[in-house]
Amino acid sequence: MSEELPGLERIRVKFLDMLEDRQASIAQHALRAWESDDKASRNNNLLSAQNILHQIAGTAGSLGFGPLGEAARACEHQIIDHIEAAVAPRHSLVDVMLSMDHFVSISRTLLNEKSRRRAS
Amino acid sequence: MKILAVDDDPIILEILLQFAEVIGGHSITTALSGAEALELIEKSTGTPFDCFLFDIQMPLMDGIELTRTVRRIKRHADTPILMLTAMSDKRYVDDAFSAGATDYLTKPFEISELKARLTLVEGLVHSRKARTGKIFATQSRATASQVGEVSGNVQLHEPVPIYDVDNVIDYIAMENYVRQLSRSSMFGSTTFAFTIRNVEEHHTMSAFEFTSLISDVAEIISDTLAGHQFLMSYAGGGTFVCVTESGWRPAMPALMDAVNLALSRTELYNNSGEQLYVRVSAGEAIRLIWKSADSVMDAVAAAYTSAEEASARHERAKNDFWLVEPRANF
Repeated sequence: MSEELPGLERIRVKFLDMLEDRQASIAQHALRAWESDDKASRNNNLLSAQNILHQIAGTAGSLGFGPLGEAARACEHQIIDHIEAAVAPRHSLVDVMLSMDHFVSISRTLLNEKSRRRAS
Repeated sequence: MKILAVDDDPIILEILLQFAEVIGGHSITTALSGAEALELIEKSTGTPFDCFLFDIQMPLMDGIELTRTVRRIKRHADTPILMLTAMSDKRYVDDAFSAGATDYLTKPFEISELKARLTLVEGLVHSRKARTGKIFATQSRATASQVGEVSGNVQLHEPVPIYDVDNVIDYIAMENYVRQLSRSSMFGSTTFAFTIRNVEEHHTMSAFEFTSLISDVAEIISDTLAGHQFLMSYAGGGTFVCVTESGWRPAMPALMDAVNLALSRTELYNNSGEQLYVRVSAGEAIRLIWKSADSVMDAVAAAYTSAEEASARHERAKNDFWLVEPRANF
């Protein structure tokens, strides 16, 4: 965000607090999707993860977490492509899982930094 | 302005509240769902909202459905609605405009961009208040004197609002939509226009009759184009501009004939019960491929001018026919 709002730091803190739960939910949905034999259940879990990623992608950039927002957006696109492609999706389930894993690891890095800052 | 922001993400709502606090001049009320928003709208009878900011992707009632519902509320038929959307929502953006959105803002947004958009919306709110005042003033005078009164209040060039016609959007919304068409969308897009012939003559009716006529013609054109993916807007001067995104390249003479056939089958009357003879001319279909974002609106303007010229040519041809002296064939 080129023009920064005063008071943004408070919202950033809240965003990171929420990210804690959000990334855990995404990881949980990813795991359930991966382990599911049933297509409908797999897609439902992927859609739930996509909804959370969509929210993160919509705000992370405005709060100065650009790379996190981009990773969320990329992941979201892969999920949509995977679910909506009728025959051969451009992104396989493995691709989607790797993308979600990448997102979760960026989230964890940010959350670890936050914990370190709070501790010091 | 009194703004209602609706998003299922509390972080976005916090950013918007913070934004309003910093720039001042706006009061923002927030809602986390469409249902909550509708409740707030219903309660705000004293001072209604001046502007809405809706997220598109929300559970239960999405922003498109919410827009459609809000547009059915009489006092908000004209209220600017800005959709707050992520890029992946582009496929929903057409639906949002079709449902009645005025503009859209891509998330994550820049504060300067939001500020600029809200300034534009504020201008729109003021001009609409003035225009609505004019139409209602004229309408009440027309009722008092039982119509037929010539109105100079609704200018011929003004893009009067049209409600409840499928795929017909406000002209400001059309400008916003066209300006933001992506290059890939432009690849399959075409713009074209229809002008009501001899519209100046129809404009001598009361403002209420004239706006009703414009709305009827819009409905006929929209019905004729049904089955194709398009958005249409009344741009003023008796001209309707259309943009199609589906790769469809219309054959304009055939399309004009189809609209005129539908007009001839629909009996249109003024308030005195006199039947109106209304026909349109069609301009050229202009493809938007390879045009830069800046020149897309120029292409729409060219489609507008082309339809106006076709209408003028038609009128000239009609008059010239009587001026040509009959000559014997030797």
